[in-house]
Amino acid sequence: MASKLSAYVDTSALIALLDKSDSFHPLFSRLFSDPPPLVTSSLVVAEGQGWFLRRFDTNRSLQFLTFLEELPNLTIFAVGETEIREGQRVLQKFSDQTLTLTDAVGISMLKKHKIRRCWSTDRHLSLGGVPLITSLVD
Amino acid sequence: MIRTQISLTKEEYRLARLEAKRQGISLAEFVRRTLRPNLPLDTSRPWMRFVGFVESGDANSSQKIDELIYGIKT
Repeated sequence: MASKLSAYVDTSALIALLDKSDSFHPLFSRLFSDPPPLVTSSLVVAEGQGWFLRRFDTNRSLQFLTFLEELPNLTIFAVGETEIREGQRVLQKFSDQTLTLTDAVGISMLKKHKIRRCWSTDRHLSLGGVPLITSLVD
Repeated sequence: MIRTQISLTKEEYRLARLEAKRQGISLAEFVRRTLRPNLPLDTSRPWMRFVGFVESGDANSSQKIDELIYGIKT
């Protein structure tokens, strides 16, 4: 169960941390060095693995999964029928946006688990009302 | 230095020797250099060894994930 102190982690936060070239790399390096309880979804894991596979290779994508295994206090919520239905409702609500199901499930999880911290660089994740960490921290 | 023995396939051995020669270093030094990036720098925070382990060359890479994965223009 996510606590009020938990932070939701989106794919973009993971990429910003692991890709040295990203402009948000210093911020997420600092945040992940002493992380609070972290929450994410299995869709984020799949998206991240896919990013490394497409941008780099199988080896890097496997290293990404090893990184997640070693990350302390990370809860990965499974996405089943219920979560997809909840995500679908978010997609319908914001049908004027190019939201992915991964984004929509993330927005829905933030609300459902009353998580007030969102680690992401993707503006879509703030549509549910939780501000992105990138807008709160210098 | 600690001396240890490792087993390599013939092909791994051949390629490792070739690469060591190309870099102008000994096979042992090549193995040490190859091993180093995979060792946790801080044993109390092993996940931190992956921080910045890739370099895409794109300062906006974390904001272009949908483009890469789904082909969505962001």
